[in-house]
Amino acid sequence: MVFEKIINWLRQPKNFGKILMMPSSFILNLVLIIPFSILIYLGFTNYIPARGIEWWRSDIVGLTNFIKVIGDERFLWALLRTIIFVFTVVPIEFLLGLGIALLFLGNFKGKKIFTSIILYPMMVPWITVGLAFFLLFLDFGPVNSIILKPIFGETATISWYRDPILAFLTVMLADIWQWTPLMFLILYSGLVAVPERLIEAAKVLGASETQILKRIRLPLIKPLIIVALIIRSLEAFKVFDTIFIMTGAGGPGTATETISCYIYKLSIQYSNLSYASAASLIILIMIALVTRVAIKPLAVKPE
Amino acid sequence: MNFKQILRYILLIIVALWTLGPVVWMISLSLKPPAEWYSANIIPKKLILDNYINLFNSSVPIGGTYFMTSIAEAITVPYINSLIIASISTVFAVLIGFCTAYGVSRYKAGGTFTLFFTLLTRMLPGATFVAPLLVYYSTFGLIDTHIGLILLYTAVTLTYAIWILKGYIDEIPLEWEEAALLEGAAPWTVITHVTFPLIRGGILASALFIFILNWTEFLFALVLSVTKAITLPVQISLYASAVGRMYGSQAACGLIATIPMVILGYTIQRYLVTGFTFGRVR
Amino acid sequence: MAKLFVKNLRKVFGELEAVKGISFNVDEKETLCLLGPSGCGKTTTLRCIAGLEIPTSGEIYINSTLINDLPPQKRGIGLVFQDYAVFPHMTVYDNLAFGLQVRKMEKSKIDSKVKEIARLLDLENVLQRYAKRLSLSEIQRVAIGRAIAVDPEILLLDEPLSNLDARTREKMRTELKEIQMKVGITSVYVTHDQLEAMTLADRIAVMNNGLIEQIGKPSEIYDNPKTLFVARFIGTPSMNFIDCSFIEKNGKAIIDASEFYLDVSDISSIIKEKSTTSELILGCRSEDIIIETKKTSPDSIEVEVKFIENLGAKSIYHLGIGEKRILVKTHIIPGIKIGSKVWILFNKNKIHLFDKKTNLAII
Repeated sequence: MVFEKIINWLRQPKNFGKILMMPSSFILNLVLIIPFSILIYLGFTNYIPARGIEWWRSDIVGLTNFIKVIGDERFLWALLRTIIFVFTVVPIEFLLGLGIALLFLGNFKGKKIFTSIILYPMMVPWITVGLAFFLLFLDFGPVNSIILKPIFGETATISWYRDPILAFLTVMLADIWQWTPLMFLILYSGLVAVPERLIEAAKVLGASETQILKRIRLPLIKPLIIVALIIRSLEAFKVFDTIFIMTGAGGPGTATETISCYIYKLSIQYSNLSYASAASLIILIMIALVTRVAIKPLAVKPE
Repeated sequence: MNFKQILRYILLIIVALWTLGPVVWMISLSLKPPAEWYSANIIPKKLILDNYINLFNSSVPIGGTYFMTSIAEAITVPYINSLIIASISTVFAVLIGFCTAYGVSRYKAGGTFTLFFTLLTRMLPGATFVAPLLVYYSTFGLIDTHIGLILLYTAVTLTYAIWILKGYIDEIPLEWEEAALLEGAAPWTVITHVTFPLIRGGILASALFIFILNWTEFLFALVLSVTKAITLPVQISLYASAVGRMYGSQAACGLIATIPMVILGYTIQRYLVTGFTFGRVR
Repeated sequence: MAKLFVKNLRKVFGELEAVKGISFNVDEKETLCLLGPSGCGKTTTLRCIAGLEIPTSGEIYINSTLINDLPPQKRGIGLVFQDYAVFPHMTVYDNLAFGLQVRKMEKSKIDSKVKEIARLLDLENVLQRYAKRLSLSEIQRVAIGRAIAVDPEILLLDEPLSNLDARTREKMRTELKEIQMKVGITSVYVTHDQLEAMTLADRIAVMNNGLIEQIGKPSEIYDNPKTLFVARFIGTPSMNFIDCSFIEKNGKAIIDASEFYLDVSDISSIIKEKSTTSELILGCRSEDIIIETKKTSPDSIEVEVKFIENLGAKSIYHLGIGEKRILVKTHIIPGIKIGSKVWILFNKNKIHLFDKKTNLAII
């Protein structure tokens, strides 16, 4: 009897819909929303595991942590480095991806093979990418031996990982290697979707390939470009895995320490969980602001 | 015409070399004996498979006694862990994602807060969640457990599952489901017998995509697992430090991790292209 | 102004031979229409002239220049596509100006030219509107304006009216004719609509299956079709066709169509000369047959009215004799209804005879 009642209740669309959503609400609440609340809570406390006090019993210290974070030089430097990273790496990936996409336009023999080759870096786990590039730039690695030695002679061995700027360069290079294919994929599928007719019309009107590119192809895939740039920038901001492997999350010194690395170290190395939480919340607010102010108008306009 | 074609091929080859370079070097390293690790030749003078075999055998010092560095664990356990965790998480994510996507698409259910929130979590660096998750998981004894990671991975990839599957569900004409309902089928039967089979492609695409995300996930596994539930990417990173200068073994290890990806990669290629132009050029 | 010469144009797509070797010329300021059913090769021919397809063999000249090896950009050709292909992300102004901007013309010159074209095509009000917000006929005018803005030597039009509904098509047809007369560019116009061709063309090339069946002025094509296909394709309603045989008996020559016969003694020598067989097809247009209520001449044939189509001012009478059906288009004749018995008289000056084997016209 009760069972039938439940079945009947289930059959009503409204209720059924609610049932459908339950699993996801459950999981999300459990695994994300609760920790998020903890995050906010921790930011206001001074919980340090080493002290031995349980986290829910730690003192609440108000905004102390937040104020400290804002004045923390290392934090600000990490943030700056991350921003420099994003604004260097993403444009390069975009331009290279666009270049390769243009290279792929039209038909030619071996297109499928080349496509597979170009795309596969995306499928390599981040760690392996980090490892691969780590191995490449070792003192006796191929970059030094195969590329530089023949050109500059025996004494030209660069210690990539000892110099702050060079180390940063290698990390950027790894990211570019891994993610240019994604840009290529997005841009290429967009370019291919441009109606052939329009290209033909432009040709008959006298436009050269460059003019067609500038005035027809690119404007028509503008929404796609914006989406690609936004997605990639957000991901690039979070970079961690490759840096962890290549420079031990920040080396030499703090030369390659991005914001993810710093917060990670705060949590794991220094075990200062409250401070880490405060820093995380500040980053959260910044991202939310940037999204609201800069990205939303960009994303809505092309629609 | 001909000059343009030649130029195109030259550029393509340059790009291909750049793309293949790092991996070719890794392959070469992984097949070289320790003596050759410092030399610049790409083709090993002596081909050995020891680097690979030793990975699975923890009793043999990696690299033999040549370097006398610490012995690292065999990678069999992490490999299996990764397989289990990634697969189960993927299944959960796709199933729950399907239900949710269906609910949002057909029943317009789902608060905007939840969806917006999960979108936000994708934007935040993973590191920001390390502190609370550590606290949370240790309180409930979920550190270093398979279930702990599975739950986390499912939650994190759920948004992708919903996003991708919703696109596919929207494509199915409402009329087909309504026809089934009119014939007396319960809503659940409609889903399992009508909608689900029709979007098999979408299910596959999202499953592959999410599996790759789960397989390669590093940060949370690093933080939340120690020995029992350690995943492959974490083990690789340990190799890099523990095994010190055993570059051949490191290279072999890194490559082993890519095998499932390579297999899946060619299957996903087709679906990735359709997936991206899906919601975009509408 | 330019002349266009096409010599032995052939285009093969894999297994399919779309254009099988055609030749034609277009004089200065002349509009030649390529008319034919879908798949006859007319669009392919047009695209070859434009440079969007490379011919398998044959030559194309503008004046005395061979243009086979020139890319579309350098041919000095304007092309109006069937689906217009107007740039949706640009304004009408930019669409019209595109060809000129691409040639790096001075801004002020571009401006005056664009305004001139806009005036000509009645687009002045929408110059600043984005192309994706225009009505269909506005889009069409932008497509035309864009093509002629660059002062092309040759203007090519690919079925520009086929996307429009019947009423708009009529209106645009007359507008196009006006523009043609005003601007006067050598043009090649592709269509499957014979009414369009008859109205807009100076000469028509009727195409079928990759070949040109006949080229000539509209009146020539209409009055003197050279092949069965041309005769059938042109004219609404279609020409009446009756199978018959040519028989000579007792010094008289007749064409025998079982249910009736016609005396053709006066033209029998021509028939004998040009035909390869005695199996012929008699053709006569529906407006070249007279309906009489009484038999007035020995050539009159008795028929029964099977059906009447009322077109307003005229009617089409479906007449039957035996198994054959003959259509006659004429003014409404009072008193005739379905089932009535009437007489028809073929206008002997307007009948056509076709060789059944070769499909070529004899008369």
